[in-house]
Amino acid sequence: MGGPDATILHEKLHECIEKGQKKVVIDLARVEWMNSTGLGILISGLTTLRNNGGELKLANVTDKIQSLLTITKLVTVFEAFDSIDDAVGSF
Amino acid sequence: MKKPTIVDNTIRIPSSQDYLADVDGFLEGILRGYGVDETVIADIAISVTELVINGIIHGNKSDPDKEVTVVISKKNSHIEISVEDQGTGFNPDEIESPIDERNLLKEVGRGVFIVRSLMDKIDINKTKRGTRIIISKEI
Repeated sequence: MGGPDATILHEKLHECIEKGQKKVVIDLARVEWMNSTGLGILISGLTTLRNNGGELKLANVTDKIQSLLTITKLVTVFEAFDSIDDAVGSF
Repeated sequence: MKKPTIVDNTIRIPSSQDYLADVDGFLEGILRGYGVDETVIADIAISVTELVINGIIHGNKSDPDKEVTVVISKKNSHIEISVEDQGTGFNPDEIESPIDERNLLKEVGRGVFIVRSLMDKIDINKTKRGTRIIISKEI
């Protein structure tokens, strides 16, 4: 996840917000790993949604990304679930 | 603008994040050739991309005429990677702790912290050209 990804996610989230969809799950099943740029993109998404009265949750987080969330203490910020259904059901 | 160049175990890229995928592909190819475990490859790939981004943004100030050079080598039981920019460098001690409660929601500032967490060793040196950071990881 890098610069262009940030723009894409940002635009997608704003589309959702404009439609009144403020509870969002990001499926990370196909993301093997990310660096701090990717984490920053997720934080930006979380902040954007919260500022609009919404919430962002993560699903299918790989072991490597879970480890990164733990190292950076972002496990205390993001709620992560084993499946999209579990994440959706948590709202 | 210049293009990435690869010679043996060295890749040199202009100061643009457009070339991060080139660095990652180069890195993973060599590490797989060394027979490194995929989990360790991911740790190294994450760390090197962090350092290359730092070199581009904080070192070279995104000047397209400046380059970032990555050199990989295998020394006995560890992998050593050097990432060198052509800038004036930064003081990692000045970076606030990203795991401090008040910094958790900041979008930037985790790069060096992550590298320190994933790698066994990190050395930061000023050179005549810029700043060279050497990381190593047992394999």
